[in-house]
Amino acid sequence: MQFLKDIVPAAQNNINTKFILLDKGRITMEGQNKTCLALVADETAAVHFQLWGDECDYFESGDIIHLIDGIFSYNRSSSLVLRAGRRGKIEKVGEFTMVFVETPNMSEIRWVPDPNNPKIYVQESIIAPHSRMFTPML
Amino acid sequence: MASKLINVESYQAENKIESSLRRAFELLEPKLRPPFPLSIPNLEEYAELNRAILYGVLCEPNFTKTHLKHLHAIVTDGYSFFVSLLVNIVREVYNKLVDSAKKQLVWVAREMVDVLGVGFDELLVCLLRQIVGGDFTKGNLWLCFEVVKIFLDKWDCLLEEEPLVLTSALYTFLRLLADHCRLSSNGEVEMLKQLEIQFCVKMLREQFSLCMRIGRDLIRLLLDLVHLPEFRVIWRDLALNPGEFTTPQFSDISELYRLRTSSRYSLLRITPEMETQLRFLLTHVKLGSQRRYQEWFAKKFLFAPERETLIVDIVRFICCAHHPSNDIIQSDVLPRWAAMGWLLKSCTKSYVEANVKLAMFYDWLFFNERADNIMNIEPAMLLMVYSIPKYIDVTHSLLEFLFLLVDNFDMNHNDLMRTGVLSAFTVLVQKGVVRSLDVLTSCDSLSPILKERLRRLFSASEAIVHKDLQPAHLPHQSIPSLVGPETPTMITAGVSSLSFPYKRKSSLANMQEV
Repeated sequence: MQFLKDIVPAAQNNINTKFILLDKGRITMEGQNKTCLALVADETAAVHFQLWGDECDYFESGDIIHLIDGIFSYNRSSSLVLRAGRRGKIEKVGEFTMVFVETPNMSEIRWVPDPNNPKIYVQESIIAPHSRMFTPML
Repeated sequence: MASKLINVESYQAENKIESSLRRAFELLEPKLRPPFPLSIPNLEEYAELNRAILYGVLCEPNFTKTHLKHLHAIVTDGYSFFVSLLVNIVREVYNKLVDSAKKQLVWVAREMVDVLGVGFDELLVCLLRQIVGGDFTKGNLWLCFEVVKIFLDKWDCLLEEEPLVLTSALYTFLRLLADHCRLSSNGEVEMLKQLEIQFCVKMLREQFSLCMRIGRDLIRLLLDLVHLPEFRVIWRDLALNPGEFTTPQFSDISELYRLRTSSRYSLLRITPEMETQLRFLLTHVKLGSQRRYQEWFAKKFLFAPERETLIVDIVRFICCAHHPSNDIIQSDVLPRWAAMGWLLKSCTKSYVEANVKLAMFYDWLFFNERADNIMNIEPAMLLMVYSIPKYIDVTHSLLEFLFLLVDNFDMNHNDLMRTGVLSAFTVLVQKGVVRSLDVLTSCDSLSPILKERLRRLFSASEAIVHKDLQPAHLPHQSIPSLVGPETPTMITAGVSSLSFPYKRKSSLANMQEV
């Protein structure tokens, strides 16, 4: 199980992690499918998560979710999101009882290919400390 | 083919309790039909067989009798393991059970009372906790009905074997009855109310010494039922004819006031799920990060207006049953007083708000350093003090309410309450919860009337100390201005109804005629 602070963009379905859903955006259509952006977080970091299809209706803020074989990459609208993808899945494993932080947000970081190994992405700079889409609730 | 045990949702991870029972059932299914094998199972097999039988009982209503016969034939531990499985189901997955499994569960719980299965009392307590206050959905009222029936039907057996469980039931049904009385009547609810009344009145009339085990919260719950004729006469006897209860240790209502209520009782009105979330909030969430958690909690448990009465139970739970360690108190974790502030602000109905304040201050009124726990009174004090800089109106309304209680809660025992509140303040300072009461008495933004009232309370302390030496008059305090027109009527409404049953003997006589 990985912490969110350790995830790195890659074209692979290899992320196994657990997080709590903090907020959900509006459901929109992408072709035939529903999609919805959400803010999720664990005790180390937050990230934008893309819900897909029925996931958009089922999951609610406060849900603790286990992601199996997820992928962290750019979606069609070029935002960096975590998602289950076609090969992964998400499961609700609980509610409420998980601590979280809203900064750093892994989707609000500019990543660039590692000059020494262009197959790997490294952090270049922080675009925003918190999600610009879901502002922290104080 | 067995039906499902729980409602499975598409993205829900497998439920461990359900799967362990289901696997046992699938594995042993051929052995669950007569003729039953005569071989004696070893420990592991015994446990597995218990799980399989339980799954059968819950999911195969048509074969229940067979399964139960089987259980009676194999049992070697006084049903202890079987009952512990039931306890676990009620505690962890009750809400997810399909309706038919809920029915079976209640039925088998009854059976466990009949055979005096080891731990049946705990099972009954778990069922009581699943009845949610302020929840008028059909399923919840059904559970309430079934459980009160168990307590009435099994009265003699419970009284003989586990009398204390009856006090848990009394606490629960007194509290639920108050909610059910606010519900617009229909046939079913009316029947439920009658059963609840029947049970509670039977307890109070026939087993009062047992009822006293609940302690002072018994009175707090009875206050909400004053308007019911059955309870009005009980009130009259509590105040004027204590002998009616034929309980030697009860000669005056103040004897109940002096008994602190065990935290066991406040837990009864909080479901295990609420308890988990509240304890998490007050153990792991940092002050400043609580907003989302509070919203989630409210969305799940306080979403409808009729659920609001639950806040009273939650406040009582936080005061009496959730006492954080010193490490947590000194950390940056959300303190109890801040959670209380949130809960108080969540009240939209004035009678709920009055009851919430009463729940916060209840142990203040009767505080006795030797018998009481400072942790029960700490949150209200800190909420008053920490509200001064930004929310002085909260400090005002709390302090005002406290004095209203001292004056009006029970006019025959004002001295007792004045002493209680005084010793509460004194101990809070002695133990360092607040450095000094100057924080209130010298607070510029606090109303002069309240400051004067505080000063009089503290100066009266000397008089109380000297009372034993010379039976001089205590300076009689009455500050009518507190109950003046500027006081929101909600508070006075709350309090005057509290003290109404036994203010004056003459009015009681009139009441009887009515």
